[in-house]
Amino acid sequence: MMSSRLARFADERFGCNAAVRVLMAKVFPDHWSFYLGEFALYAFGLLVATGIWLTFAYDPSPAGAYASVVALSRSAPIGYLVRQVHHWSAVTFVAAILLHMGRIFFTAAFRKPRELNWVVGILMLVLASVAGFTGYSLPFDALSGTGVRIADSVLLSIPFAGGWAASVLNGGGFPGPLLLPHLYTFHVYYVPVAIALLLAAHLGMMLYQKHTQFVDDERHVVGRRFWPDYALRAFAALCFTCAVILGLAATVQINPIAEYGRYDGWTVPNPALPDWYAAFLDGALRLGPPWEARIAGHSIPALFWPGVVMPLLVLALVISWPWIDACFTRNEASHNVLVRPARAPWRVGAGVALLFAGFVLTLAAADDQQAFALHVPVQSLVAFYRLLLAFGSIAAGLLAALFARELGARAVQQGDEPERVVALRRNDEGGYDEEEPRAAPEPQPV
Amino acid sequence: MTRVALSMAIAAALGAVVAAALHADPAVPGWLAAIAFLALAAAAGGLARALDAPADLHEERHPLGPSQPAALPPGALTRRGLFGNMWAYAAGAFGVLALVPFVALARRRAPRGTAWSPGARVVNADGTALKADDIDVGGVATVFPEGNVGAPESATLLIRLEEGLLRPQPGRAGWAPAGNVAYSKICTHAGCPVALYRHASYQLYCPCHQSVFDVLDAARPLSGPATRALPQLALDVDAAGYLIARGDFSEPVGPDEWDRSV
Repeated sequence: MMSSRLARFADERFGCNAAVRVLMAKVFPDHWSFYLGEFALYAFGLLVATGIWLTFAYDPSPAGAYASVVALSRSAPIGYLVRQVHHWSAVTFVAAILLHMGRIFFTAAFRKPRELNWVVGILMLVLASVAGFTGYSLPFDALSGTGVRIADSVLLSIPFAGGWAASVLNGGGFPGPLLLPHLYTFHVYYVPVAIALLLAAHLGMMLYQKHTQFVDDERHVVGRRFWPDYALRAFAALCFTCAVILGLAATVQINPIAEYGRYDGWTVPNPALPDWYAAFLDGALRLGPPWEARIAGHSIPALFWPGVVMPLLVLALVISWPWIDACFTRNEASHNVLVRPARAPWRVGAGVALLFAGFVLTLAAADDQQAFALHVPVQSLVAFYRLLLAFGSIAAGLLAALFARELGARAVQQGDEPERVVALRRNDEGGYDEEEPRAAPEPQPV
Repeated sequence: MTRVALSMAIAAALGAVVAAALHADPAVPGWLAAIAFLALAAAAGGLARALDAPADLHEERHPLGPSQPAALPPGALTRRGLFGNMWAYAAGAFGVLALVPFVALARRRAPRGTAWSPGARVVNADGTALKADDIDVGGVATVFPEGNVGAPESATLLIRLEEGLLRPQPGRAGWAPAGNVAYSKICTHAGCPVALYRHASYQLYCPCHQSVFDVLDAARPLSGPATRALPQLALDVDAAGYLIARGDFSEPVGPDEWDRSV
C-alpha cells in the first residue's frame, strides 16, 4: 500500500508514528453544534483556494480594477463561477464564525481555561469582516466604491489620527492612487496571513486543552475516535460545506457589479446596501444622532460615535466577556463540561440582548426600502428603530432569560435533567455558599 | 451504498469538467460540482455510520496548570538583579521608535477646493452648457464646471424651482437666477452622492444614510445623521444666457472631519 510505505518513509526519518497514533486515537465529543466551527474552517479553505485563482485575474490598479473583474466574469463562465464561490464562501465564513461563537457563548465554553481561545476567535471574526470588506471593495464598482468612501469618511472623523490614517491608506486624498493597491495587499496578504496564524493558535490551543463537552465528566473527553470515525464525519462536513456554497454560487447571483457600473464618486445605486455582516455598521450610521462637537477649530463629526466608538465598545465588551462572566458568576474555577443554556438564563438573556441589538441595526440598514414598502416616512422608522434598539434589546433579553428558565424548570420536572445537587458550605458570615459544582480536576504535581 | 455514492461523485465531477470545457452556462458546472461534493459527503457520512463505532470512548484529560515552580539552581540571579521594569521601559521606547516611520507615511491631501471658479460655465454630464431655462421647473440635473465633467468633488445638483419659492439666506440673494439653485452633490455626512430629489416636498435624500436636506432653505439638514447643510454654489447668467458660477462653493464640500477648520 502506498500510504503505509509513506508512513514508513516518514517514521524512519522523523520517528513520528507514535505521535500520529496518539492523534488518530484522539477522542472528539460528538454533537451537531461542534461542526459549526468546522464549517467556518472549510469556508476559509475555499476562500484561499478560489482567492489564489482570482489573484491571476485581478488588476489592482485604479484604472483597471473594475474592468478586470467584469472581464473575468464575462470572458470565461468558470471565472464568473469562481468569483461567485469566493463571495458566497466569504459570507458563509462570517456566518459560520458567528454561529460557532453563539455555540461557545450560550454553552459557556469560553470559561477558564479557554478564555484566550475566545479572544483569538473574536479577533478572527473581526479579521474575517475586514477581509470581507476589503474584498468586496476590490472591484471598485459604484456600490463598493461608495462603501469605501463612507469608510474613508469614518476614518477622517477620528480625532488626531484620522487624517493621517486616511492619507496613508489613500496615498493622498480620496480616492488616492494607492487606495486599491493597499486594499489589495490587506485582502490577499496581511489579513489572510493573520487569520491563518490565529487559526493555528486556535486549533493548537484546542488540541492541547482538549474539547469541552456536554457529558458530565470533568476528567475525561467522551466521544468518538478521530481515525477513522470522526475523520470521516469531518470530511463529510467539508464536502457538505463545499456542496452548499457551490449550489448557492451556481444559483443565486451575489454582488452583480456589472449592473452597478464603475465607481465615479457622483452616482450611486439605490438601494445602497453593504454585505449582510457589515450592515449593522451602516444601520448604526443611519440611526446615529446628528451630533457634531466643535473644539478649538476641530470637529468631532456625527460619524464618530456610531462608526468608531460603538463598534469598539461592543468589541471590548465581547472580548472581555469571559472575565465579566467569571466575575458575575463568582466562578474562577476551570471547566471542561458545558452549561446547557437553560441552566444559565441570565447568560442567555445577555447574549440575546446583544444579538437583538445587532439585528435591529442590521434591519435599520434597509430602512429606506422598508419605509417605501410600508408607506411610512423613513423618519418614523428611524425613531422606531432607535426605541427598539434601546428598549427592545432589553425586553428581548428578559424574555429570552425567562424562556430559558422555564425550559430549565420543565426539563427538571419531566426528569430530562436531574435536579442540580450542590454542596453547601457554611461561610464566615453564617450564611451558605454553594461549593463549586463540577470543577475540573486539580492539577497533579508532575 | 458507499460505492454508489463515490461513483456518483466521480461522474458528477467529470461532468463538471466537460461542462466547463464546453463553455456551458456557469450554473451547469456549478451544480454538477455541488452534486459531486454532496455525493462525496454522503459517501463519507454513510461510511462513518456503517462503522458503527462507539460514541462514548473516554480519553483522560491531562492537568493543564499551574505548573510546579522549579527550584532555582544555586547562584541564580534574583529578579531584582535583572532590572525587569527597566527592560520593559526600554521595550516601550523602542516601540515608540518603531512608530516613527509609520507616522512619516502621512501624505498631503489635496485642499478641499473644487474646480468651480468665477465665470465657469455650468455643463451637464454630457458636457453641454446649460441656459437658465434648460431645466424644467421641478427638474434636477447633475452638473459640473465646464472642462471638469465627472470630477466628483465638483459634482453639483442643479434644481429648478418655481421662482420666489427659495428662501435665500442673508448674503445669498440672487444666487439662484430664474429659480436655478445649485448645491454640492457630495453629502456632508459620509461623502455619498445625494442622489434623490423629491420635488413634491423640495427635499434631497441621500440614499446611503437617509439624510434629508431642505432645498428651499439653503439645503439645511431636516432629518437623518447629517449635521451640516450642503454647500451652495452661487450662480449667475452670462451675456450669452448661459448659467455660470460666481466662484467656488459657500463652504468646503464633503463630509465633516476632525481636521476641518470651518
